[in-house]
Amino acid sequence: MPQLRRDPITGRWVIIAAERAKRPEDFVVSQGEMADDGCPFCEGKEKNTPTEIFAIRAEGTKPDKPGWKVRVVPSIAPILRVEGELNRHGKGVYDLMNGIGAHEVIIETPEHIAHLCDLPVEQIKAVIDTYTRRMQDLEKDTRLKYVLIFKNYGAIAGSTMYKHSRSQLIATPVNPKLVKEELAGAKRYFDYKDRCVFCDLLKQEMDAQDRIILEMGGFIAVAPFASRFPFEAWILPKAHSCDFTRMSEAEKTDLAGMLKHTLAKLKKALGDPPYNFIFHTAPFRRAKTAGSWKTIEEDYHWHIEIIPRLTRVAGFEWGSGVYINPTPPEEAAKYLRATDF
Amino acid sequence: MPELRRDPVTGRWVIINTDNPRQPSEYKVEPQPKKSVKCAFCYGNEKMTPPEITAYGVEKREKNSPGWTLRVVPNKFPAMQIEGNLDKAGIGLFDMMKGVGAHEVIIETPDHNSEIPDRDEKQIRELLWSYRDRSLDLRKDKRFKYILIFKNYGFSAGASLDHPHSQLIAMPFVPKRVMGEIEGSVKYFGYRERCVYCDMIRQEAEEKDLTVSENKHFLSFTPFASRFPYETCIIPKEHFSDFTNINDEIIGDLAYILKDTLTRIRKVLKDPSYNYILHSAPLDDPERDDFHWHIEIMPRLTKVAGFEWGTGFYINPTPPELAAKTLREA
Repeated sequence: MPQLRRDPITGRWVIIAAERAKRPEDFVVSQGEMADDGCPFCEGKEKNTPTEIFAIRAEGTKPDKPGWKVRVVPSIAPILRVEGELNRHGKGVYDLMNGIGAHEVIIETPEHIAHLCDLPVEQIKAVIDTYTRRMQDLEKDTRLKYVLIFKNYGAIAGSTMYKHSRSQLIATPVNPKLVKEELAGAKRYFDYKDRCVFCDLLKQEMDAQDRIILEMGGFIAVAPFASRFPFEAWILPKAHSCDFTRMSEAEKTDLAGMLKHTLAKLKKALGDPPYNFIFHTAPFRRAKTAGSWKTIEEDYHWHIEIIPRLTRVAGFEWGSGVYINPTPPEEAAKYLRATDF
Repeated sequence: MPELRRDPVTGRWVIINTDNPRQPSEYKVEPQPKKSVKCAFCYGNEKMTPPEITAYGVEKREKNSPGWTLRVVPNKFPAMQIEGNLDKAGIGLFDMMKGVGAHEVIIETPDHNSEIPDRDEKQIRELLWSYRDRSLDLRKDKRFKYILIFKNYGFSAGASLDHPHSQLIAMPFVPKRVMGEIEGSVKYFGYRERCVYCDMIRQEAEEKDLTVSENKHFLSFTPFASRFPYETCIIPKEHFSDFTNINDEIIGDLAYILKDTLTRIRKVLKDPSYNYILHSAPLDDPERDDFHWHIEIMPRLTKVAGFEWGTGFYINPTPPELAAKTLREA
């Protein structure tokens, strides 16, 4: 009998179709085709990207020249623009505004390496440092409300070209719908119980153990109870914090190790699948009305969601927002726990 | 400058690329596979599917044998199962219930190669009647709160079989996307005492720039805040919240506009994969002033990537006005 499971944060229902149960080898993993000649993200090719916004580089080296460790450049095809006014207005029943925002590419290594998990922990830590620095900088722009850090790995996951490890960030002038839903769900739970729903979830998962993928340092990787996708994994800090940018140096190193190991397990268990990851952290907290962010420090808990792209999203999912997941998360966690690399 | 547009029903923001709008030829459309001749949904293979629930066609036909024009069977690999109680339960934080529901496949025609644009209107009317008949039958089962009718055409749209078919899933809760539409239209109605969809239809009657085609009873248009390029919505011009109220007078217009819209999409985008879904009011309260049934057609041209998954914010490279113009002139 398939099971319906409800995500305790957003209230989203998911169908766990165990009858269609799929093990890692049952998924047809396809990377899709990608052009890989003349990669502009490699060291020495700096002039083939737009002018760099930020870089962690060796002392004495110049911007847009070799000598960097992590480099941030504007997207060549930005979906939002930095210059201009928002100009919010209405047109009959419709509302619109100018597409103001930022769209940046974070080049995670000067070497032509495809997968983040193949970089050393210390390099991944530099990537996390870079995310933090970019978010702190973008927060100064009062037009912006949210920054999403994400990664598309493989053509199926939306990456267009070049197998060179990188992630992206998009800063938006409105809080996105899914983020709002998560915030609202966490707030609702807090108003009712006076506790963070993610902290409660961590406690319950640590007691139950059957959905835990990995526990390392201050972090936990878990297959969520109502996983939308097979082998979906979330990474959460054990210590409560709503804001990703407030991590200590030690926590950043822990997170780098955690990301590396979780991604390596997924790569090994599923045969290098395309995947997306996204960071969900608190929005910039500029109060519009008195008390609007009153409890966010206590009610929200930042985390990373990793989504291997193994199934196709079809009419039912688009029409209902209900996902059908053929691999029970307990099974997924078991496989991933047992995967060595 | 790209534009941010807000969907007036759900409040969802969409980024529209208005600077260098992508033309139809710039989308990479995977050709639909060469069709095989015989499959489990073809004449003579009726025993290969689970026993039929209902069928249309010649009278006094023996069940599960040829002679049908349309056939409804249970899905062989159902996402939900019809037997049993819901057994709602909780473990600590987590809520769950049994996956009780119905998952049916509507085999639209015995002809393996006849997609909707290839069919005559009589056949399409029959398809629409079958949607209505199955909805009316399943809503007698009080465990169900919603019935979603949808079609996946082509591999990129999630179809695993070539033979023309639609699907239906009856479920014991109102799904999230539908809930979002209901909540948004209830809020709008509370403020204005008008249906938000009726207001959109009225505004479109003046502006005309989103119209793909129309006839007496229906409008086919590209929504102002389309999530996907060439996304198209078919909606009755008169206020109806419940799809099952379609009648002899308007069904011909619906069959015509569905065929017309899908034909235009096929022509302009070179036979792309697509999904369509039918949103009708939830079963508990089907007749209501604040909701308006409609069909959403979504050609699968772009890949949904990390940004969309993380935010629910969509990026549409083709402004809906341009999409409407291209489809209108096809």
